[in-house]
Amino acid sequence: MEKPEPFGPSAGYQGMEKDRIKQAYLDFVLNEGHPPASVFKLTQQLGVAEAEFYQFYPNFGAIDREIWADFGNQARTAAAAEPVYEGYGSREKLLAFYYTLLEILKQNRSYALMSLRRSLRRMPGLSPRVLDNFRQDFERFVADLLTDGRVSGEIANRPLVQDGYPRFFWQQVLFVLGFFAKDDTLNFERTDAAVEKAVTLSFDLVGPNTLDSAFDFVRFLVRR
Amino acid sequence: MSDEPQTSLPTTKVARAARFARTGLSVGANYVKHYAKKAVGAGSTMDDLHAANAAELYGALSEMKGSVLKVAQMLAMEKNMLPTAYADQFAKAQYQTPPLSGPLVVKAFRDAFGQSPFQLFDEFEPAARQAASIGQVHFARKDGRALAVKVQYPGVAASIQSDINLVKPIALRVMGLSETQVRPYLAEVEARLLEETDYALELRRGQEIAARCAALPHLEFPRYYPELSAARILTMDWLPGQHLKEFLATAPGQAVRDQLGQALWDFYQFQLNELRQVHADPHPGNFLLRTDDGGTLGVLDFGCVKDVPADVHRLFTALLAPETYADEARLRALLTEANVLRASDPAPLQALYLRTLRASLELVGRPFRQDVFDFGDPAYMAALYALGDDLMADPELRQQREPRGSAHFIYLNRTYVGLFALLTELKARVRTR
Repeated sequence: MEKPEPFGPSAGYQGMEKDRIKQAYLDFVLNEGHPPASVFKLTQQLGVAEAEFYQFYPNFGAIDREIWADFGNQARTAAAAEPVYEGYGSREKLLAFYYTLLEILKQNRSYALMSLRRSLRRMPGLSPRVLDNFRQDFERFVADLLTDGRVSGEIANRPLVQDGYPRFFWQQVLFVLGFFAKDDTLNFERTDAAVEKAVTLSFDLVGPNTLDSAFDFVRFLVRR
Repeated sequence: MSDEPQTSLPTTKVARAARFARTGLSVGANYVKHYAKKAVGAGSTMDDLHAANAAELYGALSEMKGSVLKVAQMLAMEKNMLPTAYADQFAKAQYQTPPLSGPLVVKAFRDAFGQSPFQLFDEFEPAARQAASIGQVHFARKDGRALAVKVQYPGVAASIQSDINLVKPIALRVMGLSETQVRPYLAEVEARLLEETDYALELRRGQEIAARCAALPHLEFPRYYPELSAARILTMDWLPGQHLKEFLATAPGQAVRDQLGQALWDFYQFQLNELRQVHADPHPGNFLLRTDDGGTLGVLDFGCVKDVPADVHRLFTALLAPETYADEARLRALLTEANVLRASDPAPLQALYLRTLRASLELVGRPFRQDVFDFGDPAYMAALYALGDDLMADPELRQQREPRGSAHFIYLNRTYVGLFALLTELKARVRTR
């Protein structure tokens, strides 16, 4: 390439090709219930050279991770598009993210469950690997929310402890996804209630509360 | 019942939270049990459980789910006349469930209409104006009309059954009842609670009752908007007016109060006798009062409507009829028919039931025996509450914990208790015949 032209025709073409591969993979997984037996099989179906595939993805796992990251990005974009979003506090922004994410997952529930289960079977008890990219984006998103929250006073400033918050909220995501996967109520209404309660609780915990007063008091006594 | 748990009541918030977490529901149940017991005024074992503790627990309980409270409230209804403290606690319950967050409200609309409330309405207030035990009310505007939009908590309908299963054993123990004795009553309560979550049904009933009551003067019903309503969202007109407490604070004149009381009375008599279907939730939150036209009453919330079968209607009106109370043989026959008195009961027990029910009917039926009844008479309400206390304190009666009579009476009683409470607070003089 002689000139870097990010929005030039070649970049657009490349992007299209990438999306085409991703879509073909998704369709295959949805129709067959498992990933294609090999990259060759998929590219043959698409009528492209196998080498083309590796320009975009090293393996199918990478597509899965990207699809999940897309879910997260879509959820954040769609939630932020709501006119009231700017007026929301951190707690409500996180809620809006969850609800939009669940909407997206509802439309892709079969794929979501399949990919989560496949990943979980390999490493039970740990965060599923398909969520790796999703997780990075999410933790950055939450870190921003928490920073905003500290400025507005919604979240207590607790040096040292607060570094662990993104991981704490990540556990909440896993809880919500697990709840959603097992939810057997119509329209997954119980998941909505679970999100509402989990987020309220978590923000009660990270917000200024009894702990801060207790800590402050103890510190006062110790310094005497 | 053992008082042992309270000696070890953890006193700090942290300790309490830890305890809740450690021993889980069984301890929670203990609190609930004691609390409920205190609330119905049965026994004073909890006198040393601080008011603050009770309030704390109350907060936790009301955050669990709206319907837990509703079930507890319903189960206590057959106790008929509730002490004031208890009534106050549950009036509070109606307003204490945590509100739905803005994003969840938006999601409810997206689920139902595919668009957010801000797109659907010209104006929509994200903060709820009022909370109810299974939902909340938002103010909105469309085409220049002010609208009240009720949004239901997600999953309420699905969780009511599990709530009932949770509350049932506690409630049974508090009241010393066995499950077989109360099964028909619980079934009745369950049915009503589930109906309350069905907004489509509420919309239909609201429209029907409003249409059929159109001829009654000084009443106002909201118009419902089916195109803006869904399974969990109900849109109706925003009626002007104030709730009873605020309205009374404006010191309305006696004539206005009389007219409002009359409208209320006529509305209920018409429903009972003509429609055979009553708005069974005469809670102050469901009425809006204003002075226009000498006193106009807005009626909201047709979530809890009780259909009155013909035989129940006949029994109910016969029991309240003036001639019944004076005629013991007639009263006995009616009570036997209502399954309150049983042929298998020993004579002293029959006499006990007859005596207490006669006392109740004398009081409750008093408005029906006069042409004009003054609900403002403080002696009357005091007598009603005293009767409740007496019934509760009567040692013989307290041993008879088994509820009797038709399950249909639960909601009829609730209706009339609520109606009388409203009328006495209004201090209205009502032409009752």
